[in-house]
Amino acid sequence: MSGPMPATDHAAEGAGFLRLATIVARRDYLRTVRRRGYIFGTLLLPIGFLALFGLSAVLGGGTTTGPITGTSPIVIVDASSVDLSTVETPGAVRIMSEAEAEAALRAGEIHEFYRVPATWPTQPDVERVTGGSSAFSLGDAQRREEQTQLLAATLRAGLLLPAGVPPETVTRVIVPVRIQAVTLDDAAATSDAAMVASAIVPFAFTLLFVMSIFITSGYLLQSVTEEKENRVVEILLSSVPSLPLMAGKIIGLGAAGLTQVLIWIAAALVALPLIGSQVGGLGDLAISPAMIILAVVYFVLGYLAFGAVFAAIGAIAPGNREAQQYSGFFGFVAVIPIIFSSLFLTDLQSPVVTVLAIIPVTATAAMLMILALSPTVPVGLVVLSLVSLTVFVVLATIASARVFRATLLLYGVRPSIGRIVSAILARD
Amino acid sequence: MTSTVATSAAVDQAVVVDDIWKRFGRVDVVQGLSFEVRRGELLGFLGPNGAGKTTTMRMILDIIRPDRGRISVLGGEPGVARQSRIGYLPEDRGLYRDVPVVDTLTYFGALRGMRLSESRARATELLEQVGLGDSLRKKAAELSRGMHQKAQLMATVMNEPDLLIVDEPFQGLDPVNAELLKGVLLSQRERGAAVVMSTHDMGDAQTLCDRILLIDGGRRVLYGTVPDIRRAFSDGAVEVIGQGVPTDATLYRSVSHISPMDGRIRFLLRDGATAQDLFRELAATDAIVERFSLDAPDLSEVFLRAVAGDPRAAAVA
Repeated sequence: MSGPMPATDHAAEGAGFLRLATIVARRDYLRTVRRRGYIFGTLLLPIGFLALFGLSAVLGGGTTTGPITGTSPIVIVDASSVDLSTVETPGAVRIMSEAEAEAALRAGEIHEFYRVPATWPTQPDVERVTGGSSAFSLGDAQRREEQTQLLAATLRAGLLLPAGVPPETVTRVIVPVRIQAVTLDDAAATSDAAMVASAIVPFAFTLLFVMSIFITSGYLLQSVTEEKENRVVEILLSSVPSLPLMAGKIIGLGAAGLTQVLIWIAAALVALPLIGSQVGGLGDLAISPAMIILAVVYFVLGYLAFGAVFAAIGAIAPGNREAQQYSGFFGFVAVIPIIFSSLFLTDLQSPVVTVLAIIPVTATAAMLMILALSPTVPVGLVVLSLVSLTVFVVLATIASARVFRATLLLYGVRPSIGRIVSAILARD
Repeated sequence: MTSTVATSAAVDQAVVVDDIWKRFGRVDVVQGLSFEVRRGELLGFLGPNGAGKTTTMRMILDIIRPDRGRISVLGGEPGVARQSRIGYLPEDRGLYRDVPVVDTLTYFGALRGMRLSESRARATELLEQVGLGDSLRKKAAELSRGMHQKAQLMATVMNEPDLLIVDEPFQGLDPVNAELLKGVLLSQRERGAAVVMSTHDMGDAQTLCDRILLIDGGRRVLYGTVPDIRRAFSDGAVEVIGQGVPTDATLYRSVSHISPMDGRIRFLLRDGATAQDLFRELAATDAIVERFSLDAPDLSEVFLRAVAGDPRAAAVA
């Protein structure tokens, strides 16, 4: 009872701290990942990716089903004065008689044919003949658009070639330009679509990560308020000191959030090339390993920062509803960089961008956007923001543990600001 | 020899609270409180609402720390190293509502140092012991209040604790279940555990507790065995039932006044005389004594008098 604590007690305290934090972390992790809401939320995104890929395949696949395959072949019935049979057409264009075309249509071998009347080219009208009423799909629209372009090219050639225009000129009239992107340093050229995708993806990526941080912090908030409302917390505190209890919760629920994010990243890495083949530009996007590692680091630090704050909110709030209201404020603060997204797109060197990257509560979202938009990793800013976030995490965790300990047992009572401040400043 | 005695005394003491103080805001909730709890003893911790009982128990458990003073628990400072040897049933208690009760007890056991498999087996055994064998997989939300309370007390004794602190353990229980849980507490004491029981039921305190600690306003008001405390408030009277008992006060040196009533005889003792003196004098007569008891108020009355500031409390404070 008197004198300093014996060394054996210190060792026991340390070992006990780790053991208890591990038990709490393991239990909270398993309990969270087994929740229906968690499983649903975790799988929803990959399923969404797959659905997007599937939809894309279906949209593009209108031409892959049925008898007509490849490059949207077209059947033309030519009744005009222009002899289209003399035009060198791609294999996809077939010239048929009216009877042959109708027979093919009735047999279901083709979806439609195009009747070029005798009035053409005096009148520009061309008839599209279809087999009757049937469900119209987006695939049909895409195929007919391609057929229309092919028909126009064929008719142009049919007009120009008999007039003695050299075939090379005809070709240039039909396809006047083909733009190829090059860079000064011979790097791989980026397509226009990829550039658009690269502007959109960082925001989607940042939003996803910030959302994930708040979902994970929300688990923590829910766990603390639930134990407070169920009156389990005092039994827990009689077995586990507040610091390992809070540490265990932060680690366990953080691991659950990280599991979710890693599943999402894996799904994105698998799905992006697949979708990219269907959706122009996405396939050209390259996500470097350094980017992924830094994203995970920012996720972890961002979660630890908000997790510590949310644990304290859970301890302070009289109930779950109040806790959600208090935490909403921090949710708004965290997405401030997204509100300034136009500035990030136009001027990454802006002082506002730099400040947002250094302020701990906005650093995660700001740095994720900077990393996604910047052609090279801004090492100085990364170091500054990591230091700022780390210092904040340490201070917030200590303050939060003190608030946690001082206010957790105030059932149904909102502690005064003075009490919260004195708890943060107290050494014990 | 002295050191051996001192060591032996220290080993016998599960809890030593020495002049602890705790202030919340501008209120001193606990003021210079000192007491001990011995191993194998059931200490009744009494006091009106707001007396500082829960705060004191939380300080023993290291949930909060005293501003001043010292606490020794199971031979050392309160903390992680000793928490695995303590069982605690708080007044505001609960279980995870959407978790099977056996899983909750298993978790609590693991937090108190048990291996998971060992903890699950022990949880199953204890729940079966109190008739909850069919409800192991039931969630707490599906249990009746009585079942809830039995499960909670079982959670407290999961780890065979050396120190058990229970706050109003029988509150709201029907008599059958209350007796069942009293049996559990007494068996823990028989096993050698020190038990600190806070209760407002003076009947339970009088029949179950070896010693009583009554606090009010954060200060110790009464501290001692139930007979000693009742004796202090007895007004120096003894009640006797028997045949041929002389009722002339001048025949007794230890008695100042005798008043027979309804077949009982009330002896008022002289200053300095004890019930033992009267007993010897009665034994020297031809009277057949059927019942000899200290005419003392029951614990409820002692409680009220002590809290009201009866100066006799000082003798057993």
